[in-house]
Amino acid sequence: MMRFLQISVLLLSLTSCTLKTTKGLVNARVVNNEYKNLYFSDISTDYVYKSKIDIYGNYFGGILIIKKIDNSHHRVVFTTEFGSKIFDFEFQNDTFKVNSILEELDRKIIVNTLKKDFQLLLREHIIVTKQYKNSSFDVYQSANKKRLNFYFINKETKTLDKLVNASKTKEKVIVAYKNIDTELAKNIVIEHNNLQLKIELNYLDNK
Amino acid sequence: MHKPILYIFILLVTANIHAQQTKMSVEEISSFKLKVKTTAKNTKTILSNFTQYKHLEFLSNDIKTSGKMSFKAPNLVKWEYVNPFKYSVVFKEDQLLINDDGKKSDVKIGSSKMFKKLNQLIVNSVNGDMFDDSEFDTSYYKTSSFYVVLFTSKDKNLSKYIKQFILHFSKKELHVTEVKMIEPSDDYTQILFKNRQDNITLNDEVFTN
Repeated sequence: MMRFLQISVLLLSLTSCTLKTTKGLVNARVVNNEYKNLYFSDISTDYVYKSKIDIYGNYFGGILIIKKIDNSHHRVVFTTEFGSKIFDFEFQNDTFKVNSILEELDRKIIVNTLKKDFQLLLREHIIVTKQYKNSSFDVYQSANKKRLNFYFINKETKTLDKLVNASKTKEKVIVAYKNIDTELAKNIVIEHNNLQLKIELNYLDNK
Repeated sequence: MHKPILYIFILLVTANIHAQQTKMSVEEISSFKLKVKTTAKNTKTILSNFTQYKHLEFLSNDIKTSGKMSFKAPNLVKWEYVNPFKYSVVFKEDQLLINDDGKKSDVKIGSSKMFKKLNQLIVNSVNGDMFDDSEFDTSYYKTSSFYVVLFTSKDKNLSKYIKQFILHFSKKELHVTEVKMIEPSDDYTQILFKNRQDNITLNDEVFTN
């Protein structure tokens, strides 16, 4: 009995240390070591999304505007429905600039979380270091500083359906892409596992 | 200069002046303010369609949204976006009642001074009577069909978010036909009012959310 318990505890601690993301996946050969996430890559498109944000039991809405200005250069602006700017960020390669933010939101933890989320969404050129697969997805693994990113590519539609940002043992941020029209994801849901934060984006055709 | 060319030149210059806005005189300003106040006082309800354009210098197109606005004196306002999404806000005393496509929430306006100020400006601009606001420097202009009033932020905190408000009043009815809020970066929000109906019956139920 004692031995059984010991083995159980050992197994439990071992399984809890492995990452959920790659469970049920098998290793595959890296066919192409670069993958392109094209969802925010078109310079001529105004990416405008009606946004719903749930944060620690508080709910608020607004409009998220993402625009690619140049190669590896994006503006990300969040406004109220009335048009008042809540924040205005700029991402250029690895540099990040806060053009403006509402005083009440100007907290390090908020700005850092938003910065990391948008960097995850906007990263276009992905260096694939490992590859996995199952019957539905090809999964590309890529290094993201101390963390890992996993890109789930639907085998049938060839679209990016899910993006997971994880530490070695835990999933941190999960991005689900739905209602995909070639290189445009019209519904995006970003969920955090360690924060009570959920962001849902629905595309508004701005022409 | 040849005479005909000179005439054409004068004609062009004066035509240009007519299209531009000119400053109102002191007498014109006081008479205009009085008329707007009287009109506002006699306006018990307003129902109007609106179209909003959000201009950001880096976008290819302005973001266009539209809906309807209801006002009931003295301070009930419902702002309802219908296109391209459903979202409405009722301004009620110190509360904002929000209905975001069925998801309801309320915000205590008092929790954010800036939010309160921005909302108060929207409510006050609906009937145009905001000349006594000490937080702005005002200047008055006229064109062939509009009176144009510029409100420039004096308050240090407010001017971080809004540089200037511009209201257009139709000369005939003295109705606000356009509100433009310009940010320090020169990005702006422009709201155009259309099909306005005054003093029709609006029940208090309209102002629930």
